[in-house]
Amino acid sequence: MGFTRGFTRRFPPLRVLSEEQVEEIHRGTLQVLWSTGVHVEHERALKLFEQHGCRVDHDAMRVRIPPGLVEDCLRKAPSSFPAPARDPNKTLMIGGNTLCLAVAPGHKTVDPTTWEPREATRKENYDAVRVLDALPTVHFFSPYTPYFGFEGVPSCMAMPESLAARIRCSTKFQCVGFSNDSEVFAIDMAKAVGIEILGTCAWAPPLALYRDAVESTFRIVEAGFCLRVVGGQVMGGTATASIAGAIVTNNAEVIAGLVLAQLIRPGTRVLVKDFTAPMNMASGAPAFGGIEISIHNAACNQMWQWYGVPLDNTTAYPNAKVPDFQSACEKAMRVMNAGISGGNTLLFHGSVHGELTHHPLQSVLDDDLAGMVGRFMEGVTVSTESLGIDVIEKVGPVPGHFMSSPHTRKWWKLEQYLPTTADRLTYPEWIATGKRTCLDYARERMEEILTNHKPTPLTPSQEDEVERVLEEARAYYQKQGLITDDEMRYYRETMKSPNYPFE
Amino acid sequence: MSSDILANLKQAILDYDPDAAAEWATKGVEQGINPAEMLAAMTDAIRRIGDGFNCGDLFLPDLVGGADAMGAATPIIQEEVRRLGAKTDSTGTVVIGTVFGDIHTIGKTMVATLLQAEGFIVHDVGINVTADEFIESVRTHNPDILAMSALMTMTATEQRKVIERLKDEGLRDSVKIMVGGGALTQEFADSIGADGYDPTAPGAAKLARRLLGR
Repeated sequence: MGFTRGFTRRFPPLRVLSEEQVEEIHRGTLQVLWSTGVHVEHERALKLFEQHGCRVDHDAMRVRIPPGLVEDCLRKAPSSFPAPARDPNKTLMIGGNTLCLAVAPGHKTVDPTTWEPREATRKENYDAVRVLDALPTVHFFSPYTPYFGFEGVPSCMAMPESLAARIRCSTKFQCVGFSNDSEVFAIDMAKAVGIEILGTCAWAPPLALYRDAVESTFRIVEAGFCLRVVGGQVMGGTATASIAGAIVTNNAEVIAGLVLAQLIRPGTRVLVKDFTAPMNMASGAPAFGGIEISIHNAACNQMWQWYGVPLDNTTAYPNAKVPDFQSACEKAMRVMNAGISGGNTLLFHGSVHGELTHHPLQSVLDDDLAGMVGRFMEGVTVSTESLGIDVIEKVGPVPGHFMSSPHTRKWWKLEQYLPTTADRLTYPEWIATGKRTCLDYARERMEEILTNHKPTPLTPSQEDEVERVLEEARAYYQKQGLITDDEMRYYRETMKSPNYPFE
Repeated sequence: MSSDILANLKQAILDYDPDAAAEWATKGVEQGINPAEMLAAMTDAIRRIGDGFNCGDLFLPDLVGGADAMGAATPIIQEEVRRLGAKTDSTGTVVIGTVFGDIHTIGKTMVATLLQAEGFIVHDVGINVTADEFIESVRTHNPDILAMSALMTMTATEQRKVIERLKDEGLRDSVKIMVGGGALTQEFADSIGADGYDPTAPGAAKLARRLLGR
């Protein structure tokens, strides 16, 4: 099955809201945007909002956006848009009835025997990218991936190093974040290599947009790239505990970001994100595995199909710590929900626990789960041939069977998804394998990819440009005092391998 | 009458009712009740809520609700303490905040509340706090402990910056420093010269007592 460019849903999406409920939530959102308003810590943005009819309190940095402007900007944002990859065969169309899956990042890697977290090495970071490049259901890469950083890299260099690794070892579409002006280097690197990127504007719920997020928005949009506007609320903490109220605030935030993007450059390609999770009321941490996320995402998917703007669903982070029953349940609920309710993108592959750990073994397992959902989304083909009335007539009742039919030889391959890691053996066969589990199969596939998959390399001049931008970033952050002399010495030590930058 | 007011003040905290807490604190001041007794009644209530939270009977909204109620009454009583020039018992004083560049509030608020339950006077200086603002707070409140939260890898290094600034200003030895946050480890806390780290909010509150030997 050709899943490289996303999954196509061939049936109507799940509806969890009535039309009246959609309109009620929309009215509530408009009311919040006009009455409560949003906090924006950026004078240039405040002036831009003001010039277009918003009520702006410059001292309080509060912007109140009128309904007419909201609806005008929603109309200007494309309902779907191309996301060009370094390899044109992997270019995506984001929006419509397509679901594209991406990498779910982790702060650290895990030891795949003890499952305890530890910092990834440079080689592990690059190897994880190579595995993700090889997996057909990884359609694009999200920011900070696969790891938030790796051994030797000062934290301020995590973003530029992440993008460099992904550009070097993958030809898929790339998304970038922002921190300490990292988007400046991302834009420079993308332009120098000749690729497009998806930038990020991330809200600080409730209803606040800090300076660095706005700066990133201006830079990405003015560079002509597409923008992902991300919420990030926790229900019961930074949003209402009620799901409807948390749809209103998430929508208010991402709509305000979308309005800003359209005011900077009308027609900007925007992907908005419903990044909502309930709070674990015992610890204060997000309950990323909660089923409430799926219902929130399903409702938001319905709302944003109504608005006609693509929506990214809450990253599929599990609360589980190992790839076990809990992990598979939490991930399966989320990806299946995105598939059937009309999510356009979902950060999915590789997260072992929350946003804290990532591992390529998990990415391989997730590729199988994603493939199953991709198959489900293709739905049921109903045609004269697939109905097979003539075949049924020919086979007739028992002792007839379909195994020798040419129809079977053609159609089973069209209908069945063949998992690469799920065990479908009989008991005797399973015992004969030494009782291998899906993890054993995943390890085998991961090792096979690492041995054989050679990502299309950058040209020598592109490689020079990537390294030039990295050097400029290093110098910039050292000048800013964000890299100490000791850190820089250690960082340089880790770059002395003959196989730099790959290990 | 005095015992009724103290009981009602305590109950207002247990009911998570800031209006009632402020009302009973005001009445207590009007009736001339010893402010130390009123603070003790509230601490007793927030400690019960904290104990309930720690054993899983109560949850975060209860903890923060109790802290809000206590926060409504505390300034009224503190004002009376200042007017009388009275002394109050406390475990110690803490300045707490989330570092610059980081706007995560939940973990910091949990620790602040549980510190109150441990009998600390807590000055919560909020989120996105610059090194200069931390320095200023240390000068203003002269705390026993400075507690800094940073959820993200990118902002954890800001804790190091604050500690370096405290050294530059000659304030480092006047205060114990606790750090916490999702991205932190004991190794990181050691590397930046913090005095203490704990991965959980209840653990952080106990750590504060240990740091002061109380």
